[in-house]
Amino acid sequence: MEEKILEILEEHCEEALDYEGDSMMEDGVIDSFTVINVVSDLEDEFDIEIDAKYVVAENFRNKEAIIALVQKLLEE
Amino acid sequence: MQLISYTFVIFWMLVFALYYLVPKKVQWYVLLGASVLFYMIGLRGIPVGLFLTGLTTYGCGIYLGRKLSQEKEALKQCAGKEEKRAVKAAFQKKRKRVQILYIVFNLGLLVFYKYAVLAVPVMERYTGSRPDFLTRVIMPLGISFYTLTAIGYIVDAGRENCAVESSFLKVLLFLAYFPSVTQGPFTRFKQMREQFEQEHVFQYERMLRGVQRFVWGAFKKLVIADRIGIFVDQVYGVEAASVPGSIFACATALYMLQLYADFSGYIDMAAGVSETLDITLPDNFKRPYFAGSVAEFWRRWHITLGGWFKDYVMFSFVMSGIGRKIGKACRNKGNGPGRHAVPIIGTMLVWFFTGLWHGRTINYMLWGLYYGVIMSISLIMEPAFAGWKAKLHIKEGRGWALFCMARTWMIVFAADVLIRSESLAKAGSIFVSFVTRLQPGRLLSSAVTAYGLSRYDFILLFFALLIWLSVSLLEERGLDVRSVIADRPVVVRWFCYYGIVLLLLITGIYGGSYDTAAFMYQSF
Repeated sequence: MEEKILEILEEHCEEALDYEGDSMMEDGVIDSFTVINVVSDLEDEFDIEIDAKYVVAENFRNKEAIIALVQKLLEE
Repeated sequence: MQLISYTFVIFWMLVFALYYLVPKKVQWYVLLGASVLFYMIGLRGIPVGLFLTGLTTYGCGIYLGRKLSQEKEALKQCAGKEEKRAVKAAFQKKRKRVQILYIVFNLGLLVFYKYAVLAVPVMERYTGSRPDFLTRVIMPLGISFYTLTAIGYIVDAGRENCAVESSFLKVLLFLAYFPSVTQGPFTRFKQMREQFEQEHVFQYERMLRGVQRFVWGAFKKLVIADRIGIFVDQVYGVEAASVPGSIFACATALYMLQLYADFSGYIDMAAGVSETLDITLPDNFKRPYFAGSVAEFWRRWHITLGGWFKDYVMFSFVMSGIGRKIGKACRNKGNGPGRHAVPIIGTMLVWFFTGLWHGRTINYMLWGLYYGVIMSISLIMEPAFAGWKAKLHIKEGRGWALFCMARTWMIVFAADVLIRSESLAKAGSIFVSFVTRLQPGRLLSSAVTAYGLSRYDFILLFFALLIWLSVSLLEERGLDVRSVIADRPVVVRWFCYYGIVLLLLITGIYGGSYDTAAFMYQSF
């Protein structure tokens, strides 16, 4: 699962893979267009629905947070 | 009561003293009392609109909280996934219905107050008599700001991104908090409630930093923005045909700085006041004129408004049923530009509403659409631009960064001609003047001093802008200028402090024949 998420991130925003901070959206590493594309690819890939309530800076603060979000949604 | 008035400074000092004298547990009551008083003085009346929004926000929040608890209880009784999904959907439907009702009511109030004046001539034409009740409508202070702030709280409460507030007075304080009620920044309930509930102890250093930020904001407002305002008002106030294009270009470039100095000046003052009370307001500007693209410019300019539209309009649309359907249909058609359809529709929606929010003229609507179209084109063309850059062997570096900055300035420049002109026809004439009668030589002649500013004013402005640029460059490098100055020897430190205060007192545009101009964003 992790590998697939990283692949999606690589396709849309390579910098996200090297980013080591914890505010990717505020730091301009990932913009809202990229977030939308990443979300739709994650939904298609894992057959999950990422509601608007999950699309917040906290869940997109770095690649680990995105992996944790997908993990959580898969478990729900 | 303007933030930049002696009355406000006295008000602030009294609130400050009382805030740290009362028991820590009731400090937020002082803020609430001060905020309501500040608002009533500004409005010169009873804040009916604010109370209505406060009451509906509180009521809707309580309803959402109850429904969310009931949903959790109901989910515990469910056996399978399907049943859970059905229960979730049923509760979500109920919550959405109330949220939509709430948003329609509050946006309706905003639209009524903001656009009632436009309905006067229309009604007069069709009914033959002037609708007196509409002419008496006065837009409540800060309605554009507190309405969006309140809607943000309700959406967050529904999404469970913040806990529901059970005290009406705390909801009211959140909406009316006096440093930010008139012009923002837009705050989020979660971050503000935590701060309101904390116990705040007086700290001399913090007070000093707050006062410094307030003075810096006043410097930008009085020395830079209001001085530029005299020139811009006069240039834009005369018949377009009588002014050379170069003077209009100069006035528009200065207007770009005026808008920035005025609004960021206000934000610095509001944040400074708030800092003395140990309440941190979110950043609203990050040196936008250093941006290398329009998208970056808007990530640095009025950050909290951009964040509001992104979270509550853009993402709400994209993740909605209709947004998902469009997205899926477009993605199925391959990897062409169509895959950007949803972000583009979202962007256009955001910018249409941003234009509407800013002003009630056609110029503002076009201004919004202009930015929406530019952002959408940038998104679609991004791979092509990258390809051209590679083909032309353009390397990243200072030259390229400067080119990107200049390109962004030009785009913002054109947009600002649109919003500074009082009509579309006037904006058109100004654009024509850039081509047909630029007359750049006139900028170096005495013609430039015929619009309210003397040679002395221009020299002063130049040095004030130089100080501002130096501070911005240091901030861009990640330095906290106030800390840098605080670490200098006492002579240097006080030279900086007194220098700014003296410049402010001697060269600020106020008193005498001038009145301190109202903050520009107050009218939005």
